[in-house]
Amino acid sequence: METLMTSLGLNLVQGLLLLVFAPLVAGIINKTKAFLQKRKGASIFQEYFDICKWWKKATVLTPYTSVIFVLAPVVYFMTSLFAATMVPGFLTGQFSVGDAFVFVYILALGRFFMTLSSMDAATSFGGMGGSREVYISVLVEPAIMLAILINSIRYHSTTLSSMVIDYDGAYFTISAVLACIAFFLVMLAENSRLPVDNPDTHLELTMIHEGMTLEYSGKLLSLIHLGSFLKIIVFLTMFGALYVPINIPLAVKILLGAIIIGIVETLNNKMRLFKVRVYLGAALVLLLLAIIAE
Amino acid sequence: MDFMLISLLIYLVGTVTIVWPKRTELAAHYFGMICSVVASGLVAYSALMYLLFPSGSWLVDTYWGSYSLQADAWSSAFLLLTGVAGVIISIYAMDYARGYLGHRIRLLSGLWNLFLLSIVAVLISGDAFTFIVSWEIMALVSFLLVNHEAGKKKTVSAAYQYMVMTHIGTAAIMVAFYLIGSHSLSFSFGDMANNNLNGFMKDVAFLCAFLGFALKSGLMPLHIWLPNAHPAAPSHVSALMSGVMLKVALYGFGRFAFQFIGMDVFWHGLIVMVIGLISAFLGVLYATMEVDMKRILAYSSVENMGIIFSAFGCGMVLYAMQLHSICVIAFTAALVHAVSHSLMKGLLFMSAGSVMHATGSKNIELMGGLIKKMPYTALFTLIGSMSLSSLPFTSGLVGEWLTLQSFITLAQQAGNPELRLLVIFAFVMLGLTGATALGCFVRMYGTAFLGRARSNIVDKAHEMPVFMLVGMGLEAVLIVAIGVMPDILVNIMQQIFSGFAVVSMGTPLGIIWGGSGHYAIYSPGIIFAVFVLMGLFMVAALYRSGTFVRKDVTWNCGTVPTSRQQYSATGFSKPLRRAFEDILTPKRRLTYLRKEHAYFGRKLRYDLEIPDLFNDKLYKPIQQLMINYSSAFHRVQEGSVSIYIGYTMIAMIVVLIWGVLL
Repeated sequence: METLMTSLGLNLVQGLLLLVFAPLVAGIINKTKAFLQKRKGASIFQEYFDICKWWKKATVLTPYTSVIFVLAPVVYFMTSLFAATMVPGFLTGQFSVGDAFVFVYILALGRFFMTLSSMDAATSFGGMGGSREVYISVLVEPAIMLAILINSIRYHSTTLSSMVIDYDGAYFTISAVLACIAFFLVMLAENSRLPVDNPDTHLELTMIHEGMTLEYSGKLLSLIHLGSFLKIIVFLTMFGALYVPINIPLAVKILLGAIIIGIVETLNNKMRLFKVRVYLGAALVLLLLAIIAE
Repeated sequence: MDFMLISLLIYLVGTVTIVWPKRTELAAHYFGMICSVVASGLVAYSALMYLLFPSGSWLVDTYWGSYSLQADAWSSAFLLLTGVAGVIISIYAMDYARGYLGHRIRLLSGLWNLFLLSIVAVLISGDAFTFIVSWEIMALVSFLLVNHEAGKKKTVSAAYQYMVMTHIGTAAIMVAFYLIGSHSLSFSFGDMANNNLNGFMKDVAFLCAFLGFALKSGLMPLHIWLPNAHPAAPSHVSALMSGVMLKVALYGFGRFAFQFIGMDVFWHGLIVMVIGLISAFLGVLYATMEVDMKRILAYSSVENMGIIFSAFGCGMVLYAMQLHSICVIAFTAALVHAVSHSLMKGLLFMSAGSVMHATGSKNIELMGGLIKKMPYTALFTLIGSMSLSSLPFTSGLVGEWLTLQSFITLAQQAGNPELRLLVIFAFVMLGLTGATALGCFVRMYGTAFLGRARSNIVDKAHEMPVFMLVGMGLEAVLIVAIGVMPDILVNIMQQIFSGFAVVSMGTPLGIIWGGSGHYAIYSPGIIFAVFVLMGLFMVAALYRSGTFVRKDVTWNCGTVPTSRQQYSATGFSKPLRRAFEDILTPKRRLTYLRKEHAYFGRKLRYDLEIPDLFNDKLYKPIQQLMINYSSAFHRVQEGSVSIYIGYTMIAMIVVLIWGVLL
């Protein structure tokens, strides 16, 4: 019981730690993009200021909304925070409350409420965003399942902390490299980054995640943004710990991952919505090869 | 012990409502429903006691000559499910079925009891004859119930389609029983377990049994009756059919797999698994395209039965690989998911009934904003939808998690590349299914309950009467209770398979699966506690900081937003329809109605039809083939008596010549 409480405590501390650093990682991605585009760009701490600014502002609600609309950002933020306590990385103890599948379905809980809220404000943009989010998540989910399958075959467990790359054995294998590339592709899609979604624009033709959150303002908006930043850092941590077969400290992997996302976002355009099928199909094939090579 | 027979008797008493005097119809209805509540309660209680405190004896053990009633642990699991669903849905029906006052309500209540009686009889029958007779009564009674609103043409055709399909299934099951019974001492289940059927005929018996039971549980491609029959039936009947009757098919199939045929043949399990996986994905894909609430739920039943059968097939494969200690998790997964699907599908069919009761329509495109008119129904539907999307804290994830774990275990044991490819296929299918189910229920809930009213049928919507709310509420409470504390249910279900191996997955911490060097954990109780604490903290933070909320209409580029500008359900599923258009083959027609002006204010009409893949590619050709053959016979079958006498004479002459020559 004591070890249980200690591990739970450690998990919670890690979640809060990731929460503190999440806006910074988003800032680093933006700074990288600005640097590559020969702009000065905003400070890497800008996202902290933005979140504080939204937190202070008033929340405007349309009269058509129901309690779901207020509940959704809270649930979304909580699921992201909980995912941050689960992901293996800095402080996770021996005991965990759920394995990789639970991790996936906790995030699905957040997505469920966000897509519901997108239909609650009774606008076309919201529904459009929600519809596209569902479409992309349908394509992403099989790839995530296969990514979990690879590591669980290799390490005989679906617990995230046991699925961390074991640097004592042979870790730089073909299978690991393929899985690493594929998970990076999946990570971009799951976190609504380019080339699948463009987090910077509010143009109705391109937006997915931004479309869903268009009706939000004030505290609720700040929760959603904080949740999204958390999700990015959680996926980067998971990517680094489980899939990058290079023996360097995890914090460095996260930093490099953020910079690479910045580079990829500068080099690529947003692709057509129905091309995403091909993009994620490629990730799926890579994972398939990785499992066969395993 | 005798509780089960008493409950059968009470069900039988409940059927007298059919001959009740018409003047006191309502009393007849209440009498019938009280009978079914009491009897189902007894069934559930005795099954639960039997499962909680295993005594080694039978739950029921009665003989009349060669006819027998017997129930073991495998039966009891389904009796428990039937009893719980029977109690809850009967409570709901007390208020819901009052809508049929003056529309043969006495018959409805009587048949309701008979339906439950036949289901229980199937589950406790101890020989092939009792089984087939009860099975047939179940089929006929459910046909009559589906056909209750016989005034509608659609209902009648759905009911007859169901009738034909279910009889094909019964025929297949009878063949399977015959094959096994003819190779054993008698047709009692105990003797049939010791049959000496081997080789090819055993495969035939397996395929017949699978065909028959897969048809009843609506696996693809045998599902076509299901999306028609469920919407046609009264909602509480759909709830019972989908929640319980489909599971009875799993019961029968399990009886065959465990007792009569054995699971030693590797490909038997593979077939079940693959058909299950395909049904799961295609079922939910079609569900996402529908706009009729009950058709969505019917296709979702195909999906969930697919998941259940795929887990069962996975267990059969593991058993055939001699991994007896591991196969328990897959069978437990199938059972747990069966129980949880019975709860959540019962709940959602009841909410569909409530929505129909409130608005008079099943079409979600006409609804919107129902959460404000009927908040409790909306809450219960939300819980059901979350469970069907297998989200945390609901029973849906418990079954889904166990299923995923059994497939992971299969993957780790799969040495040869072919099996590994199959496991990859399984995970792709389960991933697609899970995400599409989420989209499907977000779409259904979002369109019907959230946003603004899309037509004026929502204006007169109101909250439901108390019994209907109690019924739905009980299901919702059970779903959350199992979702947060799954260990009790998992422990009950796993000990049913203690004949294979004794495992202990349910612990106070949650479910822990540690088979063959593999380790995984899911402790929803702790996660729930953490979420509740976090939620309280968040709410406090939001309030403490002085939340400033302003109400204002959405900015709509200077115009007032209309409710027609919301995303429609059809529009919501458009990207998925595009992505899987090769399977769905949607047929769209856009008609321009140029009434007032060529460009401005013109009216458009959009028709969308998604034909069922198997209906077009499988059933229509078979139907055409049969009609062609029949018309070939038509030439010899003229209908005039003299020609038939001529046929008889020719036949006699042929026989005589034959006799002389030989």
